[in-house]
Amino acid sequence: MEYLYTLAILMALYVILAASFNFVIGYGGLISIAHPVFYAIGAYASALLARDAGWPIPLAIVAGALVALLASILVAVPSVRISGDYLLIASIGFQLGVLEAIKNIGWTGGAGGLTNIPALLAPGSNHAIYVALTIAVAIATVVLLRWISRGPYGRAMSAMRDDELAFAALGRNALAMKVAIFALGSGLAGLAGGLYAHYFRFLAPGQFDILQSAALLTMVVVGGLRSTWGPILGAIVLEALPQAITFLDLPPSLLGPLQGILFTGLVLIFMFARPQGLIPAGDIWRGRKAMATDARRA
Amino acid sequence: MLSPLILIQILWTSLATSSCFVLFALAFALVLKVNRIFNFAQAAVMTTAFYAAYTVVGLASGPGWAGLLAGVAGAVAMSAVLELFGFRALRRRQASSMFVFIFTLIVSELISYVAMLIYGTWPATIFPSLFWPVTLVGTIAVSQWDLMALGGTAVVLAATFAFLRWSRTGQSMTAVADNPDLAEFYGIARDRVFLAAMLLSGLIAGFSMFLYGTRAQVQPGSAIELLLFAVAATIIGGIGNLAGAVVAAFVLAIIQNGSVLFIPSEWQGFLLYAFLFLAIVLFPRGVRLPQRKRLVRRTPAPALGPAES
Repeated sequence: MEYLYTLAILMALYVILAASFNFVIGYGGLISIAHPVFYAIGAYASALLARDAGWPIPLAIVAGALVALLASILVAVPSVRISGDYLLIASIGFQLGVLEAIKNIGWTGGAGGLTNIPALLAPGSNHAIYVALTIAVAIATVVLLRWISRGPYGRAMSAMRDDELAFAALGRNALAMKVAIFALGSGLAGLAGGLYAHYFRFLAPGQFDILQSAALLTMVVVGGLRSTWGPILGAIVLEALPQAITFLDLPPSLLGPLQGILFTGLVLIFMFARPQGLIPAGDIWRGRKAMATDARRA
Repeated sequence: MLSPLILIQILWTSLATSSCFVLFALAFALVLKVNRIFNFAQAAVMTTAFYAAYTVVGLASGPGWAGLLAGVAGAVAMSAVLELFGFRALRRRQASSMFVFIFTLIVSELISYVAMLIYGTWPATIFPSLFWPVTLVGTIAVSQWDLMALGGTAVVLAATFAFLRWSRTGQSMTAVADNPDLAEFYGIARDRVFLAAMLLSGLIAGFSMFLYGTRAQVQPGSAIELLLFAVAATIIGGIGNLAGAVVAAFVLAIIQNGSVLFIPSEWQGFLLYAFLFLAIVLFPRGVRLPQRKRLVRRTPAPALGPAES
């Protein structure tokens, strides 16, 4: 039963990560893959504040999210001047640099990892409470991001993404909007990090590396970029399917690589068989009637 | 106190070690220039090359030259598969650059997991020993590997630039890199040129990975980290500028190796990522040195007004 709880918690956390990542790269058009590093910053900040500074855990989780948000602003201000492939590569440099620093700093636990992180739940508590908590945060995240992306600010985001020059010509500040999108997405990733840290109670830099970036990117793209439900479905499907072989009772030396092969193989199949994603994004700024008319004409 | 002899020794060792990284950067920069792809799947090519050579030499006790051939053949075959079944299909579908990027990253991961499944996660080397005979030249220790790596790199660099400059296919690559539509208009088959660039890149990556595997331990996930160095060098050297990537790789490798004099060795990796981030944020178009004033022969412009009758 505990295995299923753990799986449900991981899925809920990945829903938060995929939805917030979709907000940054899909709605905001900011091609960065450093999302896991803000997940890491939130996790480490929350864990250290609770463990070493004695902060109450709920407060530490919120503070961890704020630290991730502030860190993302510091990175975004110089970085969002560049765009496209360049921003993508810069984000790789930032992510790996921060992880390398975590590996070499003593108080973060170094490469061996950070242990003895206090748990949010008291010993002997029902783990279903934590499942409910993470699912509630995941639902709140999706609702918040959907509300923003479908409102006036979302329309402005869409305009900025599609034609930044025209957007600026209308007197709007594209840089401020990019920083705000990046910060909100990263802050939510930091929140997921705090929730992760106080359940699993162990953090290591390897958990947030470039493979994690590839997994998140895949969840969003395979699920359906810029759609509300696509990344959620992507997170659940791609987290659940590789678990299928855990019941085969294979040795860990085989299980890890086989899960990896299954995951990457599935992604490649999805990329070629359904490149538009499992749930393709509709044009949300056009009425349903107009889209239906287009469909009839086609 | 740092003596000049120690400094020269570090410089020499850094120069020799940088040779593999220079070729990684050249292979990456070539595909970026011609095919316009940030080819992170080069890590898959490098992993294939290493484990092909390791199988022949390390496991089957074959001779070194057979390992080199196997490594290069493996790398070229993987490059061909990537181009024919991956990039070509994605080009036809007009896939976005992000989609292609994800594809390259996922392929690298897939090959790394396959290598992990077959060979395990322990570090491996192509030859059982990483020690090479050392000769003293003056007071500088020069290993046989240093000479082999520097000599091999010089030959590969010269051959690549000569190929691009004088061969028909090389000239076609330059034409496609400059303007793919115009090149096609002049009868150059773009797909063939893209394939040729991938094969050449695979050849270079295969050779350099063999060199690297004879000097250092490699794990299934090592190639992606090695590749990031090539990415940093390519960006700093200026995208589309192969010679710039080569020079930047030399300089970066020497700085990274020489940094042991000033910072603890465990921070060397951090230095690379800091370079990568700062290079893009500060020099997104590469580092451009001030150009020398050229002597230009000025010829009077012809009058464009109506001719006097």
